[in-house]
Amino acid sequence: MRFAAVSLLVAAGCLFVPGRAAAIPPDAPPTGMVCTPGTVAGSTHTFNLTAQTGYIDTPDGNSVFMWSYAEAGGHFQSPGPVLCVTQGQTVVVNLTDNLPEPASIVFPGQDAAVTASGGAAGLLTTEAAAGGGTVQYSFVAGSPGTYLYESGTDIAKQLEMGLYGALIIRPAAGPGYAYGTSTAFDPSREYLLLLSEIDSDLHHAVETGAAYDVNARRDRYFAVNGREFPDTIQDNGSSLLPNQPYGALVRIQPTTSTTAPALIRMINVGALNHPFHPHGNHTTQIAQDGRLLPAPVEHFGETIAAGQTLDFLLRWDDQDNWDPSTNPLPVPPPNYRDVFFKDSNTWYAGSPYLGRKGILPTGVVSQNICGEWYFPWHSHALNEFTNYDQGFGGMATLLRVDPPGGCFAAPTSATPLGSVLKSGTVTGLAADDTSYYAVNPRTTTRPSATTAAQTSITVASATGFPATNGYYVRIDNEVLRVTAGAGTATWTVQRGQLGTTAATHASGAVVSALATDLTAGFTGVPAGSQHLRVTYKGANCATTTATTCTALTTNLPQQTVKICDWTVGGAAGCSTPASPGWVTLPAPPAQPQGVGSTEVGATWTLPSAAAYLNAGQVRVLVHTERYTSPAPAAFSTWGNLLALSYDAP
Amino acid sequence: MHVRKGALVLALVAVGVCAPSPASAAPVTITLCALPGTATMAGGANVPIWGFATGCANPGLPGPVLSVTVGDTVAITVTNALPAGHPLTFEAPGITFDPGPDSAPPGGTVTRTFTASAPGTYLYQSGGDAGRQAAMGLSGALIVRPATAPTDYDVEAPLVLSAVDPAFNAAPETFDMHAYRATYWLINGKSYPDTAPGITAAGGQRVLLRYLNAGYDNTTMTMLGMHGRVVARDARPVAGALDVTAETIPAGATEDAIVTVPAGAGPSPHGFPLYNRQQHLTNGPQTATGPAPATGGGPLKTTTEDHH
Repeated sequence: MRFAAVSLLVAAGCLFVPGRAAAIPPDAPPTGMVCTPGTVAGSTHTFNLTAQTGYIDTPDGNSVFMWSYAEAGGHFQSPGPVLCVTQGQTVVVNLTDNLPEPASIVFPGQDAAVTASGGAAGLLTTEAAAGGGTVQYSFVAGSPGTYLYESGTDIAKQLEMGLYGALIIRPAAGPGYAYGTSTAFDPSREYLLLLSEIDSDLHHAVETGAAYDVNARRDRYFAVNGREFPDTIQDNGSSLLPNQPYGALVRIQPTTSTTAPALIRMINVGALNHPFHPHGNHTTQIAQDGRLLPAPVEHFGETIAAGQTLDFLLRWDDQDNWDPSTNPLPVPPPNYRDVFFKDSNTWYAGSPYLGRKGILPTGVVSQNICGEWYFPWHSHALNEFTNYDQGFGGMATLLRVDPPGGCFAAPTSATPLGSVLKSGTVTGLAADDTSYYAVNPRTTTRPSATTAAQTSITVASATGFPATNGYYVRIDNEVLRVTAGAGTATWTVQRGQLGTTAATHASGAVVSALATDLTAGFTGVPAGSQHLRVTYKGANCATTTATTCTALTTNLPQQTVKICDWTVGGAAGCSTPASPGWVTLPAPPAQPQGVGSTEVGATWTLPSAAAYLNAGQVRVLVHTERYTSPAPAAFSTWGNLLALSYDAP
Repeated sequence: MHVRKGALVLALVAVGVCAPSPASAAPVTITLCALPGTATMAGGANVPIWGFATGCANPGLPGPVLSVTVGDTVAITVTNALPAGHPLTFEAPGITFDPGPDSAPPGGTVTRTFTASAPGTYLYQSGGDAGRQAAMGLSGALIVRPATAPTDYDVEAPLVLSAVDPAFNAAPETFDMHAYRATYWLINGKSYPDTAPGITAAGGQRVLLRYLNAGYDNTTMTMLGMHGRVVARDARPVAGALDVTAETIPAGATEDAIVTVPAGAGPSPHGFPLYNRQQHLTNGPQTATGPAPATGGGPLKTTTEDHH
């Protein structure tokens, strides 16, 4: 089964911008593995943990009593803190047991001796006494890799109740390696998926002091990183889940031969073996239990056993030249009869939805943010793909594949700012195709005849012409410069400009602007987006009337693409082509560019986004001028593609 | 109980090795008897079993460890002393038996012959009664040793994993198998603390863990303070060095892993624990607010340092 999911929740996560729970650092990234810092002194890395009680929330509205490790003095969290250390460091874990029975920590996979001080001897390790007892564990971090830590006391109860967490040992080679140099990955794409199960009846019995039969255990919740789907795709530290700080959304962009893969660290802290199935692409397993495999193995499903860890490298090598602007895939929205709607989200089976936003069914706000793909990663024991037997839910998360180069947006509005709309609508700018949004220079007429020496002329209408003095107009073959009277119908003009010669003009002559301007607006760009990239592709054609683009190969119109800096004057700062808020997009490529009837496409990148993003809006201006001598000619501007891409938060 | 190496070897050998390992290929005759008996679970409960023994008395849970050498021509004669109505089928997945009958009627015998070839760890069992006989305890370890003594381990430990639902054992003929719910999980027929003696080895010594899953469930075992290198599965070598801490032994499968015991006392006060990671660390029915026994039970075995 292969299916894509498009989810309001994803969008909501961006729009809502939940605050952070205290369990993780405030600057933690919204996705990816979050390490608990601990304290480092010399080569000793110390973590102070408590074993304590708390509650988690499940997507079906339940609240489940848990035991977990948490940072001493910190916020309750489930699962326990992610302890990240470096190979060779001395790891010190101080445990204070605030539970009503002795508790402990064991470190499977650590061959170096774990020395304990304080506490009392237990079955598997030294234990801290109930009700505030302490024990200190110390060991030298051994082989790099992914490990778990968990209780070694009253295992049938305490592991079920939640006493577990992840231990990550980084290699001396550096943070960009999982193990040795054969395991390079992109450190910004390091993900942890920690699997667990919950029998809520057992938890309730522990909470209320009732008897329970661990042999009759029936798990009802199945978690990734302590959350059940769809909560798993909420950001790290979402305030919606104050005690479950770790999200499990995996994000990647199509990889290339020069990009490093993502690293997926999987841990099964539960009692059951879970067949975990990553849709959408194979993963390459490189290690088990913190030890490299003899050779990497590709999987599209792998059972991770209780107590095991598996590490995978994830690539997304595009076979189809996916480009959200030039080659969107496949793009027709699904037949809604094939779609499963739940909680205002859209889920469906069949071909993955790889395109832009389509027509939305009633009640659905958004299919996705920017045409990205979603693939479920889930336990293929389908009873675990549920929340209390209701699907979908449980042990699942999503792989989000962002478009190459980031999210893509097409404009939602287009305006011939001062120019005259020749043909087309805003959708003509949405894709690199044969659909255009075309504008002509603004025109009016001069109701009376004009002498060659006349410097004040009255036109039929100034509508659409600039309100600021200093612009050029053309009458017949003469270019005139308006020096006063802009915004009114009576202009003071300089004659014979730009190499033309002042001449007489007959009554009724057409007065034409020498420039075209079109603006387009984008909406719904998430706050916090970075790395805005503006792409414009279009042509300038030699007539204003032909329905095909007439050749224009010399004296090319000069095109400048600008973006609205909202900090200059807000919306008013970008209200006319000459408004001060328009900022020329920075090179490369340099502007203006000469653009004739052969289409030119270019992409400009803005280093920071904040000034250009206002309540989800971005505006772009395409200004094109042509005042060639000796015979200025009319032209039209044909916009083919105007697109915005960005790295969504 | 955490006993020393000598005791461990004694226990295994005494229970198990019926055939001496000759230096050269030789005819080897093994006799087994399948009969009803009783096993005592940790905590003292007596559970009826059907088990194998070398003679028709005192059946074991599991059966004796059978050991032969590559090249041996082996004849295993099994006497079926089970109750009436239970023909026995002797099986050893992975062993190619010579053509001939495989079953013994109640009161009868069957002899199965084969020439030992691929060395490794095999599970033998009864295939009778659609699995009910195996569930009653009719299984054991068959080790085929290489012709020359191996040098890649110092100590070996066959670990037969199984489970018991006493309600089934009390009524093996009529029990509704859909209601099967084990309450004991066993290594070599025992759960902690009765799994002692543990494995005893000196720091630096290599222990060959021969896992055999005679139970009904894929079973995941883990260990503390050391890790294993999987060298074979189902008596066939694996390619490359697969180092593991937690391993799933599928039902009916075997796996060989070599653990090099680190120097030192181990993370547990009892040494280096090896235990069921599916949290089956209890013995018998669970009726209280905490697991029984409170100290822990289940398939837990320790490796302790031999300081001699």
